[in-house]
Amino acid sequence: MQLNPSEISDLIKKKIENFDVSVEAHTEGSVVSITDGIITVHGLSEAMQGEMLEFPDNTFGMALNLERDSVGVVMLGAYQHITEGDTVKCTGKILEVPVGEALLGRVVDSLGNPIDGKGTINTTEASPVEKIAPGVIARQSVDQPVQLGLKSIDSMIPVGRGQRELIIGDRQTGKTAIAIDAIINQKGTGVKCIYVAIGQKRSSIANVVRKLEEHDALAHTIIVSASASEAAALQFIAPYTGCSMGEFFRDKGEDALIIYDDLTKQAWAYRQMSLLLRRPPGREAYPGDVFYIHSRLLERASRINAEEVEKLTNGKVKGKTGSLTALPIIETQGGDVSAFVPTNVISITDGQIFLESDLFNSGIRPAVNAGLSVSRVGGAAQTKIIKKLGGGIRLDLAQYRELAAFAQFASDLDESTRKQIERGQRVTELMKQDQYSPMSVAEMGVSLHAANEGFLDDLEVAKVRDFEAALQSYMKSEEADLMKTINDTGDYSDEIKKGIQSAIEAFIKTSSW
Amino acid sequence: MSELSTLARPYAEAVFKIAVESKSTPDWSEMLKFLSLVMQDKEMIAIVANPKVSQEQLTALILEICQDQLKEQSINFVKLLVQNDRLILAPQISDLFEAYKAEHEGYVDVELTSAYALSKDEQKKFATTLKKQLRKDVKITTSIDKSLIGGFVAKAGDKVIDGSVIGQLQQLAKKL
Repeated sequence: MQLNPSEISDLIKKKIENFDVSVEAHTEGSVVSITDGIITVHGLSEAMQGEMLEFPDNTFGMALNLERDSVGVVMLGAYQHITEGDTVKCTGKILEVPVGEALLGRVVDSLGNPIDGKGTINTTEASPVEKIAPGVIARQSVDQPVQLGLKSIDSMIPVGRGQRELIIGDRQTGKTAIAIDAIINQKGTGVKCIYVAIGQKRSSIANVVRKLEEHDALAHTIIVSASASEAAALQFIAPYTGCSMGEFFRDKGEDALIIYDDLTKQAWAYRQMSLLLRRPPGREAYPGDVFYIHSRLLERASRINAEEVEKLTNGKVKGKTGSLTALPIIETQGGDVSAFVPTNVISITDGQIFLESDLFNSGIRPAVNAGLSVSRVGGAAQTKIIKKLGGGIRLDLAQYRELAAFAQFASDLDESTRKQIERGQRVTELMKQDQYSPMSVAEMGVSLHAANEGFLDDLEVAKVRDFEAALQSYMKSEEADLMKTINDTGDYSDEIKKGIQSAIEAFIKTSSW
Repeated sequence: MSELSTLARPYAEAVFKIAVESKSTPDWSEMLKFLSLVMQDKEMIAIVANPKVSQEQLTALILEICQDQLKEQSINFVKLLVQNDRLILAPQISDLFEAYKAEHEGYVDVELTSAYALSKDEQKKFATTLKKQLRKDVKITTSIDKSLIGGFVAKAGDKVIDGSVIGQLQQLAKKL
């Protein structure tokens, strides 16, 4: 787009004409010391906790420690130009970020500034970064699903709209992959996604953006990026920024999904800030309120009822509930879930998806440990077909896990044990799924039905995935109507059951794989 | 700086209470100002920090310097400061004492900086408006700063009322 020079000067003229010449009153202080992004300011007797403070050259800091004669400030960005004795002004504003539809498809930093080179973002609204979570009266129970598009998760560890489901695992176990698949699968469902990258490499963030673009999923996504090179304060506030952006959609009766990738690094950033602010260190050197930073963040993910939406939109939106679903990610060290931050977040969330390196390395991807993963509220939200079929899968896998140790004595085992082991092996194989290929409810239904009704039992284990792929493409071309009905209703009526049964039988008779 | 005033506060508070009770705030104010001047002397600072100088020697030295500036209670105060090794806080104590005094007597010190010299009339006008604004009597000290271009800046403690041209230009720059 070409900018018209006269247009700009006109704009400026208008701004100057409208400029209100007023006497400005504010509270001032002066910089006493600067250490590692923490600035001590003398004065500022009226500063508020969490207030934005203005430094020379349009830089800002956030007041965190309010003491009798001084204020401890964390800098939001570069602070190299600030020197001792500089004046600091109160702005009277709590940290705010822009929110709105215009942010969709954009990459922004922790303060909501665009960093994707696509120009300014025309948002009209701003929202405080720290907000109190909706109250008890405003809430509604979770009863609609968020389909993540992964067989193993949607069937066994379902996530509902408004739920907080933790994704936990060591490095390199596919945590981010699950999150990205979840975002891709929200395409066309109306669920807006926010991906908050905290303390990651810039290259990984660029990779995520590119993958989302490739799969046409960036249009419904906001990326909040606080990379490893950014100030600790920015890494600390990034999740709250993303959450405020998500709450905008929730509060106007829409559904949003937010991914915090990952909260371990946010806790690290907060630990750094706290230690430099001389707050007393506790377990693992984290400050005393490290639980609270995560609990207040995750508590904001919720489903609010129609009355609350009506109230928040001043009656513009009626009869619609809003939700913000959170998928926080926690990285463990050597599978240790009993470390401080993992246990905290496990206890806050409504369940966890537990990923294991051993499973990942043995080729089971997504590397979900079905035994340790749970969803405390998602069951109420599952679609009927997945709920009915998923139960069988869960049972098969649980029995298989108990017997798996005996698998090597296959010849000495009795018939029923051997059968269970074989079924387990095939179901495990079926639960594998490629990255960036989320499945619809109908596709999942067909695969799960095939497993439940024993169609896989006669196959070689290595052939299971080929069989599934061929079956899916057959269903897509021959039974499009049936698939559409399942996707629309999510039902597992006798009619649909028979439909799937006969379709699979026909497929087996006519096709090869 | 901020930590020093935190340390100095209890002393200033105590001294101020004594001064109010004995109705001798001006005397105390003078004496604290003198003491703070003494303690800003480089050689004095070196002597106070020198561990070889005993507390008795230090007390004697200060009492000799101050001589008739000190009354009975203030001699005790100096002794206490020496004993607690807080002599270095004298300037902060003096500042805080002045602040308490101002608050007690119901006025605020206002530093009025303007681009051009103010006439007596203008100063009076400022005094009355500032009195309304701050809801307290004001004691104005004026200074001139050409870099303001025009207008004035009034500072009362850490409150600032900025009516200068440079301030408005900065506001405008931010808006553009």
